[in-house]
Amino acid sequence: MSYSTFNRKQFDSMKEPMFFGENVNVARYDQQKHPIFEKLIEKQLSFFWRPEEVDLSSDRKDFQQLAEHEQHIFLSNLKYQTLLDSVQGRSPNVALLPIVSLPELETWIETWSFSETIHSRSYTHIIRNIVNDPTVIFDDITVNTEITKRADSVSVYYDRLIEMVSLYNTLGMGTHHIPGKGSVEISMPTLKKALYLTIASVNVLEAIRFYVSFACSFAFAERTLMEGNAKIIKLIARDEALHLTGTQHMLNLMASGKDDPEMAMIAAECQDEVRNIFIEAAEQEKEWATYLFKDGSMIGLNAQILSQYVEYITNVRMQAVGLDTCFSTKHNPIPWINAWLVSDNVQVAPQEAEISSYLVGQTDNSLDDSDFDDFDL
Amino acid sequence: MTSISKQDSLSKDLVHRVLLGKKQFLVTEDEPLLPQLERAGIHIEYQCREGYCSSCSIKLLWGQVEYPFEPLAWVHSGYMLACCAIVKSDIEIAFFHD
Ligand code: FES
Ligand SMILES: [Fe+2]
Ligand SMILES: [Fe+2]
Repeated sequence: MSYSTFNRKQFDSMKEPMFFGENVNVARYDQQKHPIFEKLIEKQLSFFWRPEEVDLSSDRKDFQQLAEHEQHIFLSNLKYQTLLDSVQGRSPNVALLPIVSLPELETWIETWSFSETIHSRSYTHIIRNIVNDPTVIFDDITVNTEITKRADSVSVYYDRLIEMVSLYNTLGMGTHHIPGKGSVEISMPTLKKALYLTIASVNVLEAIRFYVSFACSFAFAERTLMEGNAKIIKLIARDEALHLTGTQHMLNLMASGKDDPEMAMIAAECQDEVRNIFIEAAEQEKEWATYLFKDGSMIGLNAQILSQYVEYITNVRMQAVGLDTCFSTKHNPIPWINAWLVSDNVQVAPQEAEISSYLVGQTDNSLDDSDFDDFDL
Repeated sequence: MTSISKQDSLSKDLVHRVLLGKKQFLVTEDEPLLPQLERAGIHIEYQCREGYCSSCSIKLLWGQVEYPFEPLAWVHSGYMLACCAIVKSDIEIAFFHD
């Protein structure tokens, strides 16, 4: 069955599953099977921000004064985040739009992916502001083996799903012999399994993989260094917290059987595989922490503390999707990070050089610039 | 917070017990559980403090809580979101790793 951009069939979209039902035709939100996705859309839109609003002029000076091993930590994290958002800025659209069956979920996927493109643009904004030649940094992302190892892990499930869906759309169900790949079995259960594992791996990407980098950015800012960068990371972290809720809802809805009974069976079958996706990612992030600190630690953070944090946050994320936790770490070793991650802080951080769109969004629109004169910025 | 809870001055004075392991705390219905436990020196994981990230999810072993607005995060049965839940009776809670 091939994809149609405007499915002519008449059907009740309230009875469709989230994925692998009818292609969406009318983008309508008057009736919704899962209203949570429209709520996520509204929240995401209320979060809208632009990287250019954040002033990075003092970050340039700070960066030049960082020790070499600290510059390595800072730049490596930026490269890794650039990779993650490159993937996220396109893959939900490419992988999920051809198979989604609910209008509110389709629009959530597009809204979600769009917000990732803001993240990507913000990395260029940061890098342009702190170094003279951004090319050196961006070009390294596709050749640096520490980064490319991670690129494989974050794209493998997406790529498999995309390939299977394209075989399904062109050749239909059955066992297909693909030159260079051997035989690939396309059936509803194999497609749904590929989807379930993909959503789990995306949840891991957004709910765990970003956090080592977040911790380092905020550890610099705790020393009042790279504060413009920290402000951008706070905005990104706020978006990511919403995105991870999106994939948690998809996983929990699938596992509950409320959306699609067949999916519940597949979710149960895949439990061990999903656990392994979480555990493997946590191990990779711990290795990443070791790579970051290979030439020296930074004040307040070292590879060991960060590894404990990875274990802790992995436990938090596993229980949120109904999995038993797998690490013995019971306490957050860097509780100060939460004060940076909280969205409230976005509008009140005292060191802010300028007003974020978040603050503007919270303020009476009739105010003009002069009304802010009294603010101690 | 909803206007209903503001108007209802009776409920403001209600105090409930929160059991956490061997510890016991008194909380009111004036604000969610999270800030009240923090003031009592208990660390609870949080991120958004607005009900959309699920980081503050803890076990609700028994008792009743209410949400002044429906949280965006998924709430598993037997769990509660500490950042936005108002305690409505004596309750017993536990951290997910206990
Ligand atoms: S802190 Fe985010 S849901 Fe409670
Ligand atoms: Fe992102
Ligand atoms: Fe994201």
